[in-house]
Amino acid sequence: MTTAHTTAGTAAGTAAGAAAGFTPDESFTPEGEYRFENSREAVRRMPFPFPDDDYMYSMNLEPHVPAGDGALRAAFDIDEHYVSECRHRAQMLEELPGVHYPALPHMLEAQWDLLELIFESYARDFPEHFTLTKNGNEWRWENRLLGLDDTFTFGDPSTLPMDPMEYATRQAQGEFVVLEEKDGTLVIGAGMTTQRADYSLQFNLGMSFFEFHGPVPKLHEMGILDRALKFLLRMKPGHPVRRVNWSLTVHPRLETSVETLPDWAPDRAKVTPENAGDLVHLRIELQPLHRLPRSNAIVFPVRTYLVSLAELVEHAPDWAKRMHRALASLDPELVDYKGFHRYHGAAVAWLAQHDDGAPLDTGYPWNGGIQPGAV
Amino acid sequence: MLITGIKSRPVYDELTPMPSGLRHVAAGQGSGGGPLVRLLGVMTPEQRAVTTVLYSVESFTGRNHLAEIEGFRTAGLQVFPSNVEAVEGLDALLAGTTMGTRLYLAGSEGFIGTSMQVATRYGLNRDEVLREHAGSFVRRVWCAHCSHYTENVSRRVFECPGCGRHLVVRDHYSGRLAAFQGVKADGEVPGEMPDDEELDT
Ligand code: HEM
Repeated sequence: MTTAHTTAGTAAGTAAGAAAGFTPDESFTPEGEYRFENSREAVRRMPFPFPDDDYMYSMNLEPHVPAGDGALRAAFDIDEHYVSECRHRAQMLEELPGVHYPALPHMLEAQWDLLELIFESYARDFPEHFTLTKNGNEWRWENRLLGLDDTFTFGDPSTLPMDPMEYATRQAQGEFVVLEEKDGTLVIGAGMTTQRADYSLQFNLGMSFFEFHGPVPKLHEMGILDRALKFLLRMKPGHPVRRVNWSLTVHPRLETSVETLPDWAPDRAKVTPENAGDLVHLRIELQPLHRLPRSNAIVFPVRTYLVSLAELVEHAPDWAKRMHRALASLDPELVDYKGFHRYHGAAVAWLAQHDDGAPLDTGYPWNGGIQPGAV
Repeated sequence: MLITGIKSRPVYDELTPMPSGLRHVAAGQGSGGGPLVRLLGVMTPEQRAVTTVLYSVESFTGRNHLAEIEGFRTAGLQVFPSNVEAVEGLDALLAGTTMGTRLYLAGSEGFIGTSMQVATRYGLNRDEVLREHAGSFVRRVWCAHCSHYTENVSRRVFECPGCGRHLVVRDHYSGRLAAFQGVKADGEVPGEMPDDEELDT
């Protein structure tokens, strides 16, 4: 479990994002030739998802309290890629309207809840970049990273140029899926998902917790889904929980939805033991879940971090060793499900060159477990 | 990507009269006429007198139960040449119904799914609807790439009439779209297809 080093209030003012600076001109698409790179600091602050040399699904839910000074310090983390990711979102929404942002009409109250949660969190955790000023329901929102200074009436959609959820999440890093509680389960009612890892939100809209997890192997049999749902249904506003998940993606490509699979799946056949270090990216998903106060909905954010195997070796050598072991011993069912059956061997072979077999600490890095390693 | 063994498919019921109903609507298609006949047979004459039957004679397997259905005295029988028209008929009928209506659906998964879309629009709850699968296991498939819907898909791999891609049909089902998901079959290496098979489950 987590030890909180700071409270949300005192954490403000020491934002890691500002210190690292921003790289506003990156691209996550083939057209932009995947112009993307991580600084050393950006890599070492990531929520590295392998606590052990062996990896398997687990009930890895813990209270989402600030931990350390990396990605787990803020309620919603931003990093040096913030500006580029916001631009990527705008571009994806324009290219495929209706595919990445579906919202059922009865979710409007939850949309305002979400706007409030994101803006309050950003303003509290990164006051040098964001300011929220409330005068009753007249709100002023300043986003200096994107150059915005807007006023609107909270709760009145006519005072915003678009849905409140779209407005807020176009200025946020990561994806946001909003679920309503209905008949003892959670049903997907809206989502901003321009960084989907291999599923379709249009297709999943309206599905319940067990239905949209249908394609995942083992989860049901291991009893994880049952326990996770019970846990989530007991969530209270102000007491968020988090988990991490991971996958692999070829190229630093954020948008890997089922809809555009014909565009990106061929890349999976291009990986060799020689080029795996540059092509294969670890895709870390930080998922902090919140109960929303007015609507009683639950928001499931997915903040995605991409880092190439070569960057891991260069900036976080112990994490690269750990990843080698976790990948090498990964259950074949998970290899298939996560979609890297074709280049699993190449990635393991490439990483093997950088693993001397030294023993590594266990536990997540933000809980005092495995650290990135000396460089 | 998991193709088979996905746990999102609907679980079907067996049609039996719902005693709490003040009025009943029984809609079926092709082989779904069988369950309708069985349902009408076990209803009381009072229940039958407040039951409207909709039947589409479109059938993948060629079964037609119209003559047997006509043998019952009901509040009315509407016969349609196609499933699409039967679902439109259901829409029109539910538009005029009141609280206490119970709905019974029988037939292919595609017919039940599209009828459920209509029922959901009229706010019918899950416990006010019974669904019984009958006949072939042909599926309605949504193409993830061009959003085209194909009815009566009978093979694991087929060519999408919307975009011409070969799609593999996953066992993943969306109630909102009333369809299974079709995804490019040779997405990673052109021409490298997954095993084809008859969709018989
Ligand atoms: C209510 C919020 C949640 C939403 C909206 C959500 C959504 C999803 C979706 C859409 C997928 C991909 C399924 C596919 O392949 O089509 C997925 C995968 C998964 N989910 Fe969730 N999930 C939620 C909460 C959880 C929780 C609380 C847990 C566990 C404690 C969990 C465990 C998993 C696992 C293990 C996978 C497979 C990931 C992989 O191997 O890459 N999920 N989830």
